[in-house]
Amino acid sequence: MAVAQGGPKIYDGTRVPSPIPTMLLVPEELQGSEDLLQVNFGPNHPSTHGVLRLVVDLHGESVVGLRAVIGYLHTGFEKNMEQKTWWKGITYPERIDYLSFQNNELVFVLAIEKLLGLEVPEKATWMRMCLAELNRIHSHLVWLGTAALELGAISMFWYCFRERDQILDLSEMVAGTRMHTRYFQAGGLAEDIPRGFFPEARKFVDWMPKAVDDYEALVDQNEIWLERTKGIGLLSADDAIALGQSGPVLRGSGVEWDLRKAQPYLAYDQVEFDVPTYQNGDVWDRYKVHMDEMRESTRIVGQCLDRLEEMEGEPWIADDRKVVLPPREELHTSMESLIHHFKLVTEGYRVPEGEVYVAVESARGELGCYVVSDGGPRPWRVKFRAPSFVALEATATCMSNALIADMIAIVGSLDTVMGEVDR
Amino acid sequence: MAVEKSKRLADYGLKSERVMWKGKGPGVFEDELGELEDRLGLTTVEKAVAWAQGSSIWPDTFGLACCAIEMMSIVSARYDIARFGAEVFRSSPRQADLLIVSGRVAHKMAAPLRQIYDQMLEPKWVIAMGACASSGGMFNNYAVLQGVDKIVAVDIHVPGCPPRPEALVEGIVRLQEKIKAGVPPAYEIRGVAS
Amino acid sequence: MPGFVEARDEHGELTVVVEPARLVEACEHLRGEGFNFLADISAADYLGWGERGVAGYIGTADGRDLNRPGSQGLERLPEPRPKRFAMSYHLLAIPDGRRLRVQAWLDEDEPVPSVVSVWPTADWHEREAFDLMGIRIEGHPNLTRLLLDDDWEGHPLRKDYPIGGEPVRFSGEE
Repeated sequence: MAVAQGGPKIYDGTRVPSPIPTMLLVPEELQGSEDLLQVNFGPNHPSTHGVLRLVVDLHGESVVGLRAVIGYLHTGFEKNMEQKTWWKGITYPERIDYLSFQNNELVFVLAIEKLLGLEVPEKATWMRMCLAELNRIHSHLVWLGTAALELGAISMFWYCFRERDQILDLSEMVAGTRMHTRYFQAGGLAEDIPRGFFPEARKFVDWMPKAVDDYEALVDQNEIWLERTKGIGLLSADDAIALGQSGPVLRGSGVEWDLRKAQPYLAYDQVEFDVPTYQNGDVWDRYKVHMDEMRESTRIVGQCLDRLEEMEGEPWIADDRKVVLPPREELHTSMESLIHHFKLVTEGYRVPEGEVYVAVESARGELGCYVVSDGGPRPWRVKFRAPSFVALEATATCMSNALIADMIAIVGSLDTVMGEVDR
Repeated sequence: MAVEKSKRLADYGLKSERVMWKGKGPGVFEDELGELEDRLGLTTVEKAVAWAQGSSIWPDTFGLACCAIEMMSIVSARYDIARFGAEVFRSSPRQADLLIVSGRVAHKMAAPLRQIYDQMLEPKWVIAMGACASSGGMFNNYAVLQGVDKIVAVDIHVPGCPPRPEALVEGIVRLQEKIKAGVPPAYEIRGVAS
Repeated sequence: MPGFVEARDEHGELTVVVEPARLVEACEHLRGEGFNFLADISAADYLGWGERGVAGYIGTADGRDLNRPGSQGLERLPEPRPKRFAMSYHLLAIPDGRRLRVQAWLDEDEPVPSVVSVWPTADWHEREAFDLMGIRIEGHPNLTRLLLDDDWEGHPLRKDYPIGGEPVRFSGEE
């Protein structure tokens, strides 16, 4: 089962606690000791990414017991989506992982298209890729801003959000709203790409690598940052795979696994990019993976823009009128279009019976969508495999022999979004 | 009478965009506030206190879900809430004036939310940011509290899913105008425990 | 492979159905074959599968009631399912990239053995299946509610659990 590729072993054996893999239990000799202090890092705390509750047992400064309590943001997405038609349901997955929302839409839409067997035009594929990568940069920027804020590098927050606003401007230009755009539809995109998007996007692509250099210049040489991130929160490759980690956490531990390269979806096999992998499995390496991924994503966006500019005037959504809404101009003249529009919006299109599991590489790792359809206009079961849910399971392993201050760094580096964890 | 009302608001140094928009008359909001100011008849000291309270509302870090990200972006340089007086977001509710409930409130989270609200000192205000906090939003189901005004008294509801940062800033500015006009916080108006 | 019942290949995905009693053996066998990564455990409830629901508009007197499960209004009935619950284990082999779905079908109160000993990541996935779907996992070290309150009654994702929420009140109605 050893998959450590290159690089020395991070630690011997396994640090996954037992019998409960996700909980650190206070060791025998310390139970009942007077020095033990149980502290509740409650759901509302400046240093948690959203509403995560950690109940920790402290012996001095070291954490000897850890229990994560989640569910403070449980929204019942999956049950709610069973009540809505496929078309209406696309607005729900976006809000699950609210930082990389395009990837959530993408995975749900890909699952619907897989069941339908629908062919998506090339322009839609490339634009989806472009927006998904912009969204990955967006997610990493917010992660970097908040993680640095928690570790004390407060000014990073403002620099990251400056670029984040640029990305959201692009998103607003394309889809009308900054976040949760509902732009990806089964069959392609909701609307054509507006004029003026390409020059603005190019400005961003030219600016972004310098911005990433700025971020690294802020913290890379800073002694405090180095002390707080190097050698902290070690996770070996075997433990990472056993714990189901993916994304930057897995790549920071030395396993070169990226769904965009290994099982390419959209048009990822037609663009050039590298997958950053680091060997030490600590917080520093995960941070580095995030920074390098921002650069790689910018490269991908540049290539997508090149390709999209050639495809001006091509269709942006599939031709299948039983699934795709007709263009609005036709509603004034064609009776069939009006009827189809009406039926598609009220009753919804029917997706053939079957079950699929589609996985994409979201900013946090493998985001999977398991859809069961019974042939009707509504999904029978939708389950989202959230990478942050699984990342939190690794907290106990990363926190072996850690201090309380390390806990902030480690939970931050696991890049969890509680909307995903609780769904 | 309408023109005088908008002058009075501007006299307090408030720069609501409607006041600055030349040629546009005051809206319903300004009219109502004007009437309230007349009726309440605040003394100079009360007006000064209200001005001070309104100009320095410090929010509490209560970000729950997607709206929290837009709430974080009002702190960023582009939308800069600090120029409106919200200099810092305090993590401790004991040091905060304003609770911006940003995001969907699960039933499990309702108890901590009320606890945080109880820990805040009077006077305190609540902004229900976004559709989920105002009314449960798109989640009309077993898990989400249908509107945070079921458990806390809300002063301002900001619509949107998520509301743009400018919309949240407008919500905060309107709250400031309410405070400076002398409108008491929502828990006093509704007569509920604070 | 131990406990093998049948295999299906649809939409490019291979699904292997196993008996619940021999699930752990099957999973250990598969882990030996290289499936070292458990991506997801999904539970699905098939109560009311294939029953014709009432068509009509939501909210009208004889229309569809949001709180009644399974209403779909189907054109043709889907293939019947063997039992009520299905536990699907989505496996992945890193670095080959092979994917596999292992399915176990369960009746109303039938328990399923825990695979935490095979893949530690199953811990929370199984707790979630228990919490939301009410599937009993045998041998799980810490089977408590995960996402809902500890004193919550019922399992929301089941088809006989109503969607909940409140009826929307419109201004102007009494």
